[in-house]
Amino acid sequence: MVIADEGQLIQSSRKGDLDAFNTLVQVYQRQVYNLCLRMLGSAAAEDAAQESFINAYRRLSSFRGGNFRAWLLRIAANICCDELRRRRSRSAASLNATLEAGTPADVPSQLAGPEDEALRRELGRHLQQGLAALPAEQRLAVIFRDIHGLSYEELAEALGCSLGTVKSRIARGRARMREYLMARRELLPGQFRLEE
Amino acid sequence: MLEVLLQFRHRRFRRDLSAYLDDMLSERARRRLETHLDSCQACRQELAELRSTVEALGSLPMAEVPRSFTLAAAPVAEVRPRPAARRLEFGLRLATATAAFVLALVVVGDFAGLPGDGEEEEGEMPAMLAPAAAETQRAMEAAPAETPAAMTAVPVETPEPLVPGITDVGRLAPEAGTGVSEEEYAEKEAMEGAEVEEEAEAGAANLEDEAEAGAWEVQGVADDEGGLSREEAVRWLEVGLGAAVGVLVIVWAFARFQRSIGNRP
Repeated sequence: MVIADEGQLIQSSRKGDLDAFNTLVQVYQRQVYNLCLRMLGSAAAEDAAQESFINAYRRLSSFRGGNFRAWLLRIAANICCDELRRRRSRSAASLNATLEAGTPADVPSQLAGPEDEALRRELGRHLQQGLAALPAEQRLAVIFRDIHGLSYEELAEALGCSLGTVKSRIARGRARMREYLMARRELLPGQFRLEE
Repeated sequence: MLEVLLQFRHRRFRRDLSAYLDDMLSERARRRLETHLDSCQACRQELAELRSTVEALGSLPMAEVPRSFTLAAAPVAEVRPRPAARRLEFGLRLATATAAFVLALVVVGDFAGLPGDGEEEEGEMPAMLAPAAAETQRAMEAAPAETPAAMTAVPVETPEPLVPGITDVGRLAPEAGTGVSEEEYAEKEAMEGAEVEEEAEAGAANLEDEAEAGAWEVQGVADDEGGLSREEAVRWLEVGLGAAVGVLVIVWAFARFQRSIGNRP
């Protein structure tokens, strides 16, 4: 979602108008929170999302125009990567436990019926585990592209790298996800079962 | 040989499948891939699986926020190094590298017998004073006997500070990881580069992408392992290099001074 007077809100926020900044927060908080959710699991997502907005407010003066969503998501991505790095230094086991425990697959879906709901949860769980197995850069690229629907250009801005690198990371991430899902083909719900 | 070539082409096409799904291939690359897909069952299968994977990922719902993340009060301003201090730090790093470079030139020039202070004097003097020129000539003849002993350590050590000094300044300029704004200029350049790359020959572009991605992954791993401590380590390395260059300059100047005194009648 892009708001018509986003530029005006950013200008006001830079001058210290907290209400203007909070309007921006309300527009983008779902995307930022979902990014943190997919990267860190539900336990740490809230804190990471809040920290992202606090950092964004502090760094508003360094925003030099361009795509505000990509800029904001980049801040959130950096915070997620920092958190992952901290966790890795503590313990690899706790990372996996956190990611698996807090999967966002238990979000109510549009499908009717408990069976469909269970199937969707199962697929969501496998997808989240597959994502958790990716290196952080590839995971970010796949989440941004396939879940958040960012364009390659926005991705380049959000990840701070070239289009060539973006393409490569998406391709590698997707290839790994494909391998992960294909190895569990028989466990996947029928409606999403990959073709033989 | 032909088999290897075909395998290479096949791998290249497989890498293009993801960009093909997003319609991010150039017209030429897309046509080439489609021609390959007509004749390659394995790639068709992989494309279908990849498409299903992307669709499955796209079907993941976006969670609702558990609470509002609006800020109740303006956060305290972030304490970051002032731009002036950053510029000063960059200037000092650049100065270190430049000093190392100049020192290396001077030392190399000194040993190679390129025009230096003494020789400039020599060039001017014959016009004025022939005896003084002869004196300088005698000094030059006497010098080789002393020089190796006095200066052996210098040329061995100088190239070391030179290379890392220059490389580090270039590499550290964007200061990756410190924030968003610092990298914007580098980003623009990188994106322009990538667009040009996209227009280039498909094979070469793929190889470049591969290499680039590999480099990024290596960089990522290095960052993960080193973190901020690596930045600190580089900083200390530069400080050490600066100090080493300073010591070398003093030693070199002292040796020159000693030699000039020794050569005087």
